[in-house]
Amino acid sequence: MNWNNALEFVRGPLFNAALIIFIGGMAYRLVRVLLLGWRSDKVPGKGSKLGGVILSYLKGLVIWPFIPWVQNTFMRNPLIYLAGGLFHLSLFIVLLLGTAHMLVWKSLLGFGWPTLPLPIVDWMAAAGIAAMIALAINRLIHPVLKLLTGAAEWLNLLFVFLPMVSGYILTHHLFFPYEMGFTIHMAVVDALLIWIPFSRIAHFMFYFFSRTIHGAQFGKRAATP
Amino acid sequence: MNTQTAVQTFVSETGGWVASQLEACTRCGMCAEACHFYQGTGNPEFAPVWKIELLRRAYEQRFTLSGRVKVGLGLDKPITDADLSRWSAIDYEACTICNKCALVCPMGIDLGSLIYEVREALSAAKAVPADLMAAVEKQVTEGSPLGVTDAVFDERMEWISDEWEVKLPIDKPGAELLVVFTSIEIMKFPGNIPAIAKILNAAGENWTISRKGRESVNFGFFEGSPERTVLFLKRVFDAAKELGVKRIMVTECGHAYEALRWTAANMMEVPAGITVTHIAGEMWNYIHSGRIKVRHGALDGDGIITFHDACKIQRRGGFIQEPRKVLRMLAPNAFREMTPNKEQAICCGGGGGVIAIKEADPNRYAAFELKMDQLRATKAKVVTMTCSNCRLQFTDCVAHFGLDVKVAGLSEMVADAME
Repeated sequence: MNWNNALEFVRGPLFNAALIIFIGGMAYRLVRVLLLGWRSDKVPGKGSKLGGVILSYLKGLVIWPFIPWVQNTFMRNPLIYLAGGLFHLSLFIVLLLGTAHMLVWKSLLGFGWPTLPLPIVDWMAAAGIAAMIALAINRLIHPVLKLLTGAAEWLNLLFVFLPMVSGYILTHHLFFPYEMGFTIHMAVVDALLIWIPFSRIAHFMFYFFSRTIHGAQFGKRAATP
Repeated sequence: MNTQTAVQTFVSETGGWVASQLEACTRCGMCAEACHFYQGTGNPEFAPVWKIELLRRAYEQRFTLSGRVKVGLGLDKPITDADLSRWSAIDYEACTICNKCALVCPMGIDLGSLIYEVREALSAAKAVPADLMAAVEKQVTEGSPLGVTDAVFDERMEWISDEWEVKLPIDKPGAELLVVFTSIEIMKFPGNIPAIAKILNAAGENWTISRKGRESVNFGFFEGSPERTVLFLKRVFDAAKELGVKRIMVTECGHAYEALRWTAANMMEVPAGITVTHIAGEMWNYIHSGRIKVRHGALDGDGIITFHDACKIQRRGGFIQEPRKVLRMLAPNAFREMTPNKEQAICCGGGGGVIAIKEADPNRYAAFELKMDQLRATKAKVVTMTCSNCRLQFTDCVAHFGLDVKVAGLSEMVADAME
C-alpha cells in the first residue's frame, strides 16, 4: 500500500468531509435544541440572575470545573476529579499549544500563536493518556459509573483515546513508518470528528447552556452558584 | 399505569430548557457524591443522573437521531410499565429534590428541576407511591393532607388561642399580610403559631390567617401534578385576593415557599401586586429594623446550638444569611455551624414528600445518618431550623436513633428571646 496516497486522502478530502460533518452536525444539534422552545421565566428574582451567571462561569470556565467546590465530595471519588481534570487540561494544551496542532489551526484560521516546547506538550499528552486509562478503569469499578456506562460511553472513550495514542506514537516515531503513523492518526481524528455530533462528546457546546441556567437559577434565588 | 401518557408528558415537557441540560450531561457520575440518599444507602440507582434516566431516554428516543438509531439496533428499549414502577421508587422515595447535585455537577445541570419533570410524567401515568397519593387526595377533599378540615382548623385555632392566650386574627378585613401556616405546624408543632403571632404583633404587622387559604403545604407539588399544584396554590392566592392583602408570608415550611414563591408565577395567573415572603427572612428584618427587640445572647448558656439549612429555604430560597444573623445575635457564643453548610448543606432527607411514604423509611433514616454525623461533630445540644418538614424529620430521627439533641424551630426561639 502506498501510505503517501492514503495520507493525502485522510488529511485532504476525508478531513474536509469530517470537518463538514462535525460543523454541520453540531449546528444541527444546536438549532434543534434552540427550536424546541423556551418558556419565559415570570418569577421575579430575589437576587441577580446576571450576577449568578457571571459567578457560575468564573467558577466553571475561567477557573476550572474540576475543582471540587463542594466540601466532602472530592474524597468520595477523587479519581474522577483528578483524572477528569487532567484529561481535559491535557486535551486543551495538546490541541491548542502543541506546535503541530497550532499549525493545523493556522491553516484553517489563517493565523497562529506561540506554542509550548515539545517536551512539556509531550508529557501532558502522556498524562492525558494515563488519565483516560484511569477513567476507563473507574467506569469498570465505580458502582454508579457501572450503571451509567453502556456502548455509547465506551465508544466515546475509544474515539478520543485513539487520536491521543496515535498522536503520541507519531510524535515518538514508534512502531510504524512515519507516513503510516500519520495516516492512522489522521484517520482516527477524522473518525472522532464524525462521531462527535452523534455523541455526548458534544457536551462542550451544551456546557454553555447548563452553566448559564445554573448561574441564573442560583442567582435569582440569591444563592451562590 | 399508562406508559404512553408518561412518554407524552416527557416529550411535551422537553423544551429547550430541559433538552439543552440533558444534552450537556456527560454521564460522569459526579452528582452521586452530592446525594445523601446515595451516600447513605450506597445504592447506585439513587445517583441523581440515574433519577433522570427515563427523561433522557424519552427525549432521545423522540427527538434525536442517535436515540432512534439505538432503539432500532436494540441498544435502548422503549419505556415500559416496569420502568415506571422502578423509577417511581427512585424519584419519590429516594429524592427530596434538594438540588445539591446541581452544585456538584461540573456542567451545572439543574438536576432538581429535571427530577421534578420526571415526577410530572410519573404523576401523569399514575405511578405515584400510594401513601403520597393518599395524602394528595386528602388535601383535595379535606383541604389538608394532615386532616386539617374546616372543623379541625377551627378547633385547633380555638385551642391554641386558649392554651397560649394569644389572639389569632382569622379572615380579618383590611389586613395587609396573609400568614399561611402548614398543617404540620397546626397539628404537630402548634407552638409555632403563638410564637409567630407574638413576633408579628410586636412588629406591628396588620396580619391575618385565612380559613380558606389555611394550608401552605402543597402535596400536588410533591406529586408533580401541575393540575393539583395549581389547585392548592389557588386556594391561597384566592384567599389573599379576597382579603385584599399585599403580602403572603409562608411560615416554617420549605416546599410551600418553593411552590408559592418560585413556581406559581410560571404555572398560573398570580394575582398582581401580591408578594410572597418567608418568616426566615422577615424575622431578621424585624430585628434589624428594630421592629422587634430580642435579648442579645438570650440563648447562650443552654449548650451549643447549631443551624440546619433547609434545602428549599436556604439553598433554593436564598435566606442563607438572615437566620445566621438572628442566631449570632441570640447565641453569639453558643452558635456553631455544621460542615458543610449554607448552599452546600446536607438535606435532612425527609422533604419532597419522602417522609409521607412508609416504603421510603429505610432511605430516609439512611440519609439522616449523614446529618447525624454532622450534628455529632458540632456537639450541639440544640438544632434549629426554619422548616417544619425538616423539623418533623429531625424529631422522628432523633427519637429513632436515640440522640440527645433538642429540635427547635427558629421562630419559637426568637419569640422566647423577645423582650
